[in-house]
Amino acid sequence: MSISPNEAQAMLADIDDVVADVKQSRIYRISSGVLVLWGAVVVCGDLLALVAGRWTGVSWIAVDLIGVAATFWMLMRGPKNLAFPWRYVEAVALFAAFGFVWSLAIGGMRPRDLEAFWPTLFMFGYALAGLWFGRLFTIIGCGLTALVVAGYFWAGPYFNLYLALVNGGGLMLCGYAMRRA
Amino acid sequence: MDAPDDIIHQPVRLRVMAALNALPEDDDGIEFSRLKSLTGATDGNLGAHLDHLARAGYVEATKAFVARRPRTTVKATAAGRAAFARHVAFLKSIITGGS
Repeated sequence: MSISPNEAQAMLADIDDVVADVKQSRIYRISSGVLVLWGAVVVCGDLLALVAGRWTGVSWIAVDLIGVAATFWMLMRGPKNLAFPWRYVEAVALFAAFGFVWSLAIGGMRPRDLEAFWPTLFMFGYALAGLWFGRLFTIIGCGLTALVVAGYFWAGPYFNLYLALVNGGGLMLCGYAMRRA
Repeated sequence: MDAPDDIIHQPVRLRVMAALNALPEDDDGIEFSRLKSLTGATDGNLGAHLDHLARAGYVEATKAFVARRPRTTVKATAAGRAAFARHVAFLKSIITGGS
């Protein structure tokens, strides 16, 4: 059997494509669980915000802490050969710190503004992550940001309910879709 | 090495071995359905190629029931990884003019 250099080159390129696909799908598989988890966290947070009144801030901190703990647990149970993704944790922490500086110290935002600010901040993170980890992240980030902004302007008094459905439900749906990508 | 691995050389089997080899050795493997989308092969075609690779000792398949549905997971054996590495080295040697 004889193989020309061009054929060999094409086969090696094919191998590289498959390897890239496999690595991409591993990233998606790990991320999908986190997306579904945070979708559930957002649904709980937004539904609690409907009934919590002035305790809304506290209820959000509580569900976020549960979400963070569950995320750590999930990542630690991830593929045994994968190092714990500390860089991911650091990135999320940086985004959260940025968010707290703006929402507590600088922004002077109303509750409705905050309800829109936090999800769009993290969706911006997803959109950026897509530049390195696959365009699905960018599509999810930009798509959900557009939906949150639309709700901010047009959902009226049902904004929290809208966010629970669109942002929380959207994250869960995207997580399931990512698992199949 | 001065000859290709006849078993791995076939395009679908080459893609299967590339995919399985991309995983760490202690990984659980890749599901049949995922391999199907990676290779673009049909069920029957992929099954036949996997049989071929398994007979050569290059892959091993594990069948299990998950949520009452059969799930086949395939992973490369040590022999399969070594054969794939040799085949890739052979392809590279053709390009660099070493063969």
